[in-house]
Amino acid sequence: MSAKLKINGQEREFADAFPATLAELLHCLNIDRATVVAEIDGKIVPRAEFDATPLHENANIELVRFVGGG
Amino acid sequence: MSLHTFFELKNAVVGIAGLGGLGSNVAVALTRLKVGKLILADYDVIEESNLNRQNYFYDQIGRHKVDVSLENLRRINPEANLVGHKVRLAPDNIPRVFAEAHVVAECFDRADQKQMIVETVLSKMKNTIIVTVSGLAGFGKSNDIRTVRLSPRLVLVGDGVSGTAAGAPLTAGRVGVAAYHQANAIAEILLNDLRSVLLGNKL
Repeated sequence: MSAKLKINGQEREFADAFPATLAELLHCLNIDRATVVAEIDGKIVPRAEFDATPLHENANIELVRFVGGG
Repeated sequence: MSLHTFFELKNAVVGIAGLGGLGSNVAVALTRLKVGKLILADYDVIEESNLNRQNYFYDQIGRHKVDVSLENLRRINPEANLVGHKVRLAPDNIPRVFAEAHVVAECFDRADQKQMIVETVLSKMKNTIIVTVSGLAGFGKSNDIRTVRLSPRLVLVGDGVSGTAAGAPLTAGRVGVAAYHQANAIAEILLNDLRSVLLGNKL
């Protein structure tokens, strides 16, 4: 069985390691959680809630990553 | 500039979070555009190393960026409506400091601080648009710096990848390109999206 997520407009399939939470997804994508703003299905998810935010199949996830400089 | 356009910008309030390479230059552009009111926030003092890209002068080293920005901007327009906050912005004070702002410009240096204010504005300030910047280090590649509307209340400027973590320098040209993208995106938002709000809400 495999499950899909839509990440920044691109569908991505997870064969047997579907991430249970947003934090797991970021870990799996190798993204530093301190520098990302996340939205799931159009709703902003505060960084403090990444660990406790479950992911469902076909969730529409937007990740905005920041790099330093200003 | 038509009388109509002038009127709309006169009723606009813009917050500028950070007065470094981005913020000090965005503030100059928005002052020249005669945006009605600017709310400036920064806690830092000017260092010699800032002068390679920030809108300050040698004889202003050591002074607070907020105080100096107020002086410099009033030299452009003595009647500018400016408010300065010498404060370290955090989730608990951002909604208060920028309560009046239609648009907030994220002008921080650190990636985690950029994350913090974007998350705060999107989750706690439901009527405020934020224009943020990611990816402006180095020099050249002006056309890689883009303005993209990611969602109704979030606009992102930059190339998305050129950070300072890998040791790339921040330079006047490229930071300036990003700052003026940011100021121009704000003007566009004020004149397009917020047209009805600003006309109906004569502050």
